[in-house]
Amino acid sequence: MSEVSLLRLEGVSKTYRGATKPAVDNLSLEVRAGEIFGFLGPNGAGKTTTIKMVVGLLRPDRGTIVANGHDVAVDPVAAKADTGYVPDNPDLYDRLTGIEYLNLVADVFGVPQAERKRRIGELLGMFELGPAVGDIIQSYSHGMKQKLALTGALLHDPAVFILDEPMVGLDPRASRLFKDMMRSHCEKGHTVFFSTHILEVAERLCDRVGIINRGRLIACGTVEELRERRKQADETLEDIFLELTEPGEAK
Amino acid sequence: MARRVLSLILAQLNMNFAISHSRYYYLKKRQRLWEPVLIALAIGSLAATLGVGIYKAASYYYSTSAAIGQGAVTLTLGILLAQVLVAILGFVLVIAVFYFSNDLGILIPLPLRPAEVLAGKFAVILANEYVGLAVFVIPVLVAYGVHAGVSGVPYVLSSVLVFLALPVVPLIIAAVPAILLMRVAGLSRRKDTLAMIGGFLFVAVVVLFQFLVQTKAPGIGEEAEFLAKMLAGANSLVDVVGARFPPSIWATRALAGAGTLQGLYSLVLFLGAGVLAFVALLVIGDRVFYQGVLGGFEAGARRGARPTGKVQEAARYPSRSPVASLALVEMKLFTRTPVYVLNGFTGFVMFPVMFVAMFFAKRDPQIARLWDAFLSAPGLAAVGALVIGAYFFVLAAMSSIPFTAFSREGKRHIWIQRALPASGRTVALGKAVAAEIMIVLGAIPGVAVLEYVVRLPLASVATGIVLGIISSFTLCISGVLFDMWRPMLNWTDPQKAVKSNLNVVAGMLIGLAVIAVLGGAASLFVKFGLPAWSVVAGIGGVLIAILAAEMKLLGALADRMWGALEG
Repeated sequence: MSEVSLLRLEGVSKTYRGATKPAVDNLSLEVRAGEIFGFLGPNGAGKTTTIKMVVGLLRPDRGTIVANGHDVAVDPVAAKADTGYVPDNPDLYDRLTGIEYLNLVADVFGVPQAERKRRIGELLGMFELGPAVGDIIQSYSHGMKQKLALTGALLHDPAVFILDEPMVGLDPRASRLFKDMMRSHCEKGHTVFFSTHILEVAERLCDRVGIINRGRLIACGTVEELRERRKQADETLEDIFLELTEPGEAK
Repeated sequence: MARRVLSLILAQLNMNFAISHSRYYYLKKRQRLWEPVLIALAIGSLAATLGVGIYKAASYYYSTSAAIGQGAVTLTLGILLAQVLVAILGFVLVIAVFYFSNDLGILIPLPLRPAEVLAGKFAVILANEYVGLAVFVIPVLVAYGVHAGVSGVPYVLSSVLVFLALPVVPLIIAAVPAILLMRVAGLSRRKDTLAMIGGFLFVAVVVLFQFLVQTKAPGIGEEAEFLAKMLAGANSLVDVVGARFPPSIWATRALAGAGTLQGLYSLVLFLGAGVLAFVALLVIGDRVFYQGVLGGFEAGARRGARPTGKVQEAARYPSRSPVASLALVEMKLFTRTPVYVLNGFTGFVMFPVMFVAMFFAKRDPQIARLWDAFLSAPGLAAVGALVIGAYFFVLAAMSSIPFTAFSREGKRHIWIQRALPASGRTVALGKAVAAEIMIVLGAIPGVAVLEYVVRLPLASVATGIVLGIISSFTLCISGVLFDMWRPMLNWTDPQKAVKSNLNVVAGMLIGLAVIAVLGGAASLFVKFGLPAWSVVAGIGGVLIAILAAEMKLLGALADRMWGALEG
């Protein structure tokens, strides 16, 4: 793992219009090259809001987000060009075919023709989606849509790969393939930042995890570091998570 | 049964008018409180302006027709016109609400009969129709009530009942073929295409019908030509005009004779026709409604179950610029969504049909006079070029395509383009180019028919097309920018993005204002003796200047608005 930071959040806050409490409150964290970072938190903790700010779908009220050296607020196009994003519920254009969707993504990301053909073939083969790529997306199952969204997000081999609950809807085989792919993506010197509720996956897969509750980052580090901090060597990530995020406990 | 249907209807109306949604955001969370006030003010002032205009027109029409004992024809024409509009627009609404609502997947598993779901959906369409009709019909009813000296309370009561029943029969006339069409289309893998073709055929038939009826009505100052028809007695013209659609006669007589036995009899006939038509809709719907909906679901599933193996080899990987790629996708998404096509392309079909109808109606003295005036106008070639240019512009204003470019993405899809590394300018330009291509292609049939009828010189047509491309592109750019500024992303059914979107109204108003200003200026210049072709060149110059200014604006604003758009 390198010391080069590919994703950096500094003092990021966001309060939705009309809300009294911030959805994300003074959040700072750093994700390094070659690192898989798991972003954990209970429902409504601010995970999706954070991710949406990172990929430029929401504007932070305060703070800075830098993706692969590009400030998301100052140069959003450059930041997005180095980012791949898959939302929690990838609603794709139902009336396009899979290949039409992928060609749109490749065109806007500027993936050359030969390169896109190779990458699309590779990724579709991995997700076993090749035979369906000429069908309209409306006819896809939830899992197939998820795989197509993943394919689109990986077409340009992004330095920063952001995923919101990526395992939802994937069958065990695809889930395994996907985890392998995340690891090999990081081995190329890229980074993966993903939110999940599946703590076993996070414990096994992530180099580091961050736990967010009520908009604030309450813990960050390797699972081992978190255990050491709590002086409970036999605790699982689930134990740590549940204790830290217990309702009513402001951390 | 009545209770659950009522509950269903209330829930449907709640979603349709976003009642709980508005209560939550405006009253509980107190967000953007200025918005409902501004919207109410805008709609209120627009409705008041339109209403007063219609009231004045109806009053004038009444005074001229009453002078020859035919005052009630004002009511017949008002009612008939409203019903024709309901039928034309109703067909699209019926297909959208009955077959493309997102909640069908929730409603069908519920223990409800198809007729009950249909009743709930019908109530939604009816409620939407009342909102529009109020602006057009109430002023006519008031104008007649004020001028005809009818008895107060019975007239008001009859008016309320006639108003409530007015859209029922035309909506059902639109709904029954729509249900039958979708029943057949549901069996086909080309369900969407069939729905679109059927929709346009229906629009064409209704436009032709309306045209035939209209040629039977007296224009202002044309009453003498109808004297022979009136000899039969007072208000006999009502029968002549309404003969092709009897409910309009019943409604007229119910209102004109309010408080009399004849009026009551006509009212019963009018309301009875509505009730009968509704029962017929429920009976037919109970048998075939779900088959059409489920057939559509199966058609989608069949595509997914296609034998595997060959598709990937057939996949193509063309490389395009981001603007071209975005424009292409935009056109594909639009033309593959029946609700958008039926809304956006109606003008593309309606106008050529009207031109054809005008051609065949040349024998009618009113139309013939209009044609003579047009064909013998000095500098017809230049005027023709201006008319063609204006035609493109009107289509752009009416089509709703540019003014819903971002709204159509909705909350569900806006993330896709927002997450792509494309600037706001690129995305907006892609959408504007897509809108322009669709409008230009849609204008060709109308121009072809017009050219066949009028026989303009080729140079005039070519100039008109160039003017049209420039003029419609100015509206496409402003429409896309307007919709980027305040897109309506919160919708559950795609038809809401185009039907309940105030940006579309804004587009029409902007279009009307520009046409009025440029058209007025052109006619003034011609009147002052300026050569007609120099006026064409002048208008062309103004349009190019507007376009250049818009491109500057696009560069200056689009990125900022794109960044501010939170979805």
